[in-house]
Parts: sequence; C-alpha cells; structure tokens
Amino acid sequence: MEELLRFRFRKVSLRKLSVKERREMKQGLAFISPWLIGFLAFTFLPMLATFVFTFLDMRITEGIFNPVRFVGLGNYKTLFQDMNIWRVPGVRINWTQPVVVNGETRQIFAPQVKMDPPGAMWVTIIFGLYALPVGIFLPLLLALLLNSRYLKGQAFFRSLFYMPYVIPFVASVFLWGGMLNPETGWINRFLMLLGVPKVALPQWANDVFWVYPTYVIMGIWGIGNAMLIMLAGLQNVPTELYDAAKVDGAGGWATFWKVTWPMISPVIFYNLILNVVGLFQYFLVPLVVNQGTGRPGGATYFYNLYLYKTFFLYQNMSYGATMAWALFVVILIVTIILFGTAKKWVYYASESA
Amino acid sequence: MKKTLFVLAGVLVVASMLLAACQPKPTPTPTAAPATEAPTQAPTEAPTQPAAGKVQIRWFVGLGTGTNPDQVAVQEEVVKDFNASQDKIELVLEVVPYDSARDTLSTEIASGNGPDIVGPVGWGGTNFFYGQWLDLAPLIQETGYDVSQFDPGLVKAQVTTEGQLGLPFAVFPAAVYYVPKMFDEAGLNYPPAKYGDKYVMPDGTEKPWDWNTVAEIARLLTLDANGKNATEAGFDRNSIVQVGYVPQWQHAMHMAGFWGAGAADFFDADHNAIIPEPAKQAWTWYFNGIWGDQPFIANGALAGSPEFGAGNVFNAGKAAMAVTHFWYTCCLADFKNAGNEFQLGVLPANPNDGKVHGRVDADTFRIWKGTQHPKEAFEVLTYLVGPAVKKLAPTYGALPARAEDQQPFLDAKSADYPFVKSWQPLLDGLAYPDVPSAEGWMPNLNEAWNRIGAFGDLMANDGTIDLAQEIEKLRQDLDVIFKK
Repeated sequence: MEELLRFRFRKVSLRKLSVKERREMKQGLAFISPWLIGFLAFTFLPMLATFVFTFLDMRITEGIFNPVRFVGLGNYKTLFQDMNIWRVPGVRINWTQPVVVNGETRQIFAPQVKMDPPGAMWVTIIFGLYALPVGIFLPLLLALLLNSRYLKGQAFFRSLFYMPYVIPFVASVFLWGGMLNPETGWINRFLMLLGVPKVALPQWANDVFWVYPTYVIMGIWGIGNAMLIMLAGLQNVPTELYDAAKVDGAGGWATFWKVTWPMISPVIFYNLILNVVGLFQYFLVPLVVNQGTGRPGGATYFYNLYLYKTFFLYQNMSYGATMAWALFVVILIVTIILFGTAKKWVYYASESA
Repeated sequence: MKKTLFVLAGVLVVASMLLAACQPKPTPTPTAAPATEAPTQAPTEAPTQPAAGKVQIRWFVGLGTGTNPDQVAVQEEVVKDFNASQDKIELVLEVVPYDSARDTLSTEIASGNGPDIVGPVGWGGTNFFYGQWLDLAPLIQETGYDVSQFDPGLVKAQVTTEGQLGLPFAVFPAAVYYVPKMFDEAGLNYPPAKYGDKYVMPDGTEKPWDWNTVAEIARLLTLDANGKNATEAGFDRNSIVQVGYVPQWQHAMHMAGFWGAGAADFFDADHNAIIPEPAKQAWTWYFNGIWGDQPFIANGALAGSPEFGAGNVFNAGKAAMAVTHFWYTCCLADFKNAGNEFQLGVLPANPNDGKVHGRVDADTFRIWKGTQHPKEAFEVLTYLVGPAVKKLAPTYGALPARAEDQQPFLDAKSADYPFVKSWQPLLDGLAYPDVPSAEGWMPNLNEAWNRIGAFGDLMANDGTIDLAQEIEKLRQDLDVIFKK
C-alpha cells in the first residue's frame, strides 16, 4: 500500500541498460503489448477524440445533415459562464415552524431550508462537506472498534459491517429510499410514534436541509471496504510502538494521536484521495432517489449528473466532453493539492528511516 | 535503443489504428454492414450483402416496443412473409435493445449508415431524432397510396412542421379508468361513458364532465386511515390510504395536453418561451389537488412509496380514477390479481373552454431521410402499416389505427380483462387526438422536456413553492434552452 502511494518518477537512462536488460525490456513490452494496444484503442484514442470534440459543435443526433463545426474555445467559454455550474447558492433558513397543540399555536424547532438553485460544482462541494468527514472517520472509528482487544467476536462484527457492501448499490439505494420515505417510511412512522409532530418530521430526500444527510446515510452501507482497509492499516502498526508508549505513560488518547494516527496516515490519505475522486463522480444516488431532477431546490444537481445529462440526454457531445475535461482538471488539481499537503501530515516509516 | 523504442511505439500505434479500422466501416448505402452494436435479445442477423438483384432495406427496431424475444419472432415472420411476397426488395430486421437503441441509432446516423425504416416509434423517439425523417407526402402522391383507409384525424396527427412523417399504425387513445367499487362505497355515480354526457351528482344535479367535476368527486373518493374523505372535518391528510385521482404516468407536458396545450404552443417563431394558459390551468389544478386544503392526488413521496405501488398508484388499488392511455392495460397485473375491477369513462373537458382535449399516443414507422432507396422503403412501410398489422399489433399490444383491424385486439383485451363492460370510451377517445401534440417538437427538445419534467417533479414534491413564481422561472429557463 505504502509503495503504491509513493509516486516517484525515476529517471531511467536507457543508455545505461545492458544488452540483457534491453532484451528483457523488449520482452516485457511484448508481453504487455495486448494491454498497450487495448489502452491505445479503447482509452487513449477515445480520450483524445473527446478532447478534439471540445473544440467542435457536435450534436450526434443531427447526423449527416448538419456537419460538425469548429468553434475554437467556444465550449470552454460557455463552461466558464454556465450558471448551472457556478451559481453561488443562496440559503434561507426558518428554524421554527408553527404547530397547533390543543388549540394553541406553538413554535417548534423544525428547520426548513430554502435554497436558490446552486450551481452543480457548488452542490458537489457542499455535499463533500458532509460526506468526506463521514467517509473518512466513520470507517476509521469502526476499524478502531474492531481492532480493540476488548471486543468479542471480531470476525462476526467484521463480516456484519462488511456485509452491506456486497449488496448492489442501486438495490440499497431503493431500500433506503423506502425506509426514508417521508410519508410511509418506517423511520418517520417510528418518529411519529415517539410523538414527533408531522410538521417536524424530516422530509429526507425531499428537503434541502435533510437531503445531504440522507445521501450520507445511504452511503454508509458502502463503507465496508474502507473499514477493512483501515483495519488492515491498524493491524500493521507495530505493537512495540504501543508498548513503548505505554512505558512512557501515554494514555489512550495520546497513544492514538502520537502512534496510531501517524502510522495509519498513509491509509487515511489513500481513503481521502478515493473519497475526493468519488465525490466529484457522485451521480447514481441523486439519479435514482430524486430522478436526476435536482430536487429539492436544485440541491442534488451534482456536476456529474449534469455531465451525464448533457452527454446522454441532451446528446450534446461537445459540451459534455468539455465538462468531462474540466472535471478531469479539477480532480487533478485537488489531488495535486492533497499530495502537496501530504508532506505535512502523512508519515512514511520507510522515508524517515 | 531510443530508435527501437520509437519503432516499437510506432508499431503499437499502427496496430491500434488497424484494430480500430477493423470495425464495420460505415457507408451511406443501405447495403452496408449491419448495426455496430449487436442486439442482445434474440438478435437478428442481417446479411452484409443483399440477395442478387434485390435492394436491401434495413428495418431498425428498438426505440419503442418490439425487442422482446416473442416480438422479435413475430417480426422475423413478417420479414419472411414480405421477402416471400416479391422479388425486388430484401427486408432485413435489425433489433437493438431499448436501453442502447438511441445511442446505436445516433451512431449509425452520424456515420451516414442509418437504417431505412425505424419503428415502432412514438413521438418521444421521433423527436429525439428531429430532422432525420423523410416527408412521405411526395411518395404518397407519387404512388397514389390510399390514406382514406385511416381516420383523417390520425393521418393529420402524423403531420409536423417537417411534413407527413408517418402513417397511422398503432394508436393509444386515453380515457378515465375508474374503480366502480370505490364509487359505490362513496355513494357516487360513475363517470360518463359517452362524450357529451353530463355527470350526475348523488343529489341528482347534473354537472358538466370537466376537470372541476373530477376534482369535486375525487375529494369525496380520497380517504384517510379513519375512513374520512377529504371534504370531512377531521380528515387527516397525513394518513391518506386512497386518493381520488392519479395522473397515471403523465408528464407535466401530458397534463398540459389534456387541457389543450401542445408542445408547439410553448414557443413563438423567434423561439421565445411561452407558458400557454391551458398549461398553467392544468398545473394549478394538479398542484392544488396535491397540496390544497382538500387533497385528492398523492404527493410525490406518497405516490412513490411501496404501499402506493412505487408510482403505479392505480395498479396498487390506491386510486379511484386515473387518466391514462390504452397502453396502461399492460401494467395492471397486481390490480387484477388482487380481485379488483375497473371500468372506463370518457375524458373530462377543460372547464374554461368546455372542450375535451384528448391525447392519442401513437406508434408508427418512419423512413430515415438519408435512405438511398426511399421508394422501396415506402413500399415496406406501407406493408408494415397494412397487411402486417394483423401480426404486429397484437405482439406490440397496440390498438391498430384502422378500424377494420381493431376487433381481434379488443377481443384479446376482453380476454385479459373480462370484467370491462365496454372499451368504447377508449375507442371514442380516438376522435380527440392532441393537435398539436403534447409530445411534439420544441427547440432543444430533450433539455426542454427535462426541465419541464423537473418542474412537474417539483410540483409533486414541494407544497411550499409559489407556483406562479415557479411557472415564471420555468418560462425563463425554457427561454434560454430554446435559444441555445
């Protein structure tokens, strides 16, 4: 894992290769040539084609009757001016709602958020503020629990927490959709049994205030994999370090921050990168749960959803390709920034050695 | 070594290009290779070369119904019959799964390798490929084809700004589906079964059968868990167990259509967006039906819940009335298996103009404008909408457009739903096609439909919106979309 995370571009001087090494390299290239050919034909060339599309006006359904036009940087100009992407969200919150109890009107705590439709990039960023901490720290928390020597039946709990991960994602989204249905879902029914008035019931995926927590809850079933990776990281921490910390009189909290955290920081970093990339590609849940409409109040019109619709619904290949390349650049920049920060907080034992 | 590497890289690039070149090369003639994407369901194998001396006509299926294995078998039989009937044309079937049909056809068209005939296809699929279809009018005139065999209204319904794009083949008129048992329990009379008849209220007064009357009785048919209807004191809107009405699988554009607004009414000659008054009326009626003081339509969450059939509310036995089309008979298995029965009433009128604005969904066949053999393609098309109807319509579950072909279909439906006393209200709905069609073309159609669909979704799910403000916002957005 550590090796995978440590990207190093070594300069290989071909002149220094011996005859044997050259022969081996040729053989190696010959062996991977099927993959190389596949990569060129099915990945690299299509990527190149989409890059060319960004300079054209091409709507595929118009076919041969409307020839493709060269528009230069027109699509990029449209992209930077597209309010569907960049519009800054305006939010108004009413924290209380009136409710009649025994003929008397009372104000109860029931936040209602009104949002002016935000741009797709903002939607993605706002959701990230909810989803990333949960996506990183919840698997870590579960892994810490499963790694505890006081826990009985570790294997059982490990399987239990991992089990939802094997359920097809769309199926689990439908399932959660039923449970969180504001009208008939059992969670709201249960809240009503507890005496929560109807006006204060969460409207889950139908409410701007609740929709992101709803999506995060639905995503919790997918954290089994991250949890296992964290657990593997925890189990790789040398026990001598804990013994040394104990001898030094460190408590549980200090041990975690001074020993555990640094030692598993590469794993956390790895999960962070995956979560960030996943965040920018987030799309299936809003498509299934809110039918890809952006409801409520445009809060679920994620960038990738907009991209998908531009490509496959509106069949605007050129603008879709431009959006895809912009997404690629954004993910690249964010990833580079994260790698830059990694020097400050990610600890590689082999490096310090 | 560097040189060797360059050579190796060069070889790889050439090899990859060769690999790419190995794909079927598109040519503008219909004698070229078949679709680039192989069908997954009961694929039909199209020969790459036509039989000697014959013109090959490719028939593309996938934009609508026709991809189920049993349907493919019938279509193959039709192809066989046609090919056996004459010696000039060789008809080739090309079936592509529905999910990938639009992409496949887009690719074929973009590469100049479009099929000659496409169908069955409704207006949605037709308009997705706006500008690609051949105007049949010159061919009809040239060949003297007799269109009088069809209802003139249905022929006219196939005319768009691009010309006569098709001939009537299968039609799906609309009607009110209702559950007599629910009406009996509420002490209400049934909806009229004949256009022009009035509705008789329980006290004997007669009212015009319009959307206001529908709302009035729908409120009485909407029940909460305590059995109270929506007009009664103490009615709990949070525990609705039965609604009076559901616009079963109707897009906001369809709702507007039933009040008299077609797609062509949504923009002017300069592509400025307009929200026609009937559309505003329809949407206001719908919104108030969900969120008004006396609700009679399920909101989005309730309609989408498993208890209410996850959107198929009438099938779940949770709605007393639904306005929908003949094709909806496809999807009533749960309803029937639960021992429920439905009957049919006529469509209500717009209370503002007193007129019935029906909707007739229609599937037919189109000829691609880029075909090299328009005459031969037209000959095949007339065969499909003519002699082949008897085989094709039953397998598509479609009501044939020609009256003389309809009885076997109705017999089959009666066998499926023996409790239906008369299909006549549906058949009478054929006299009320939506001209201009609610599914007609509008600029940047797919994006516009998506935006209007999102508006419909908003109405169903958010009772706190200012509807007038949202309609204005919709107009502004459509204005931008239409002018893109």
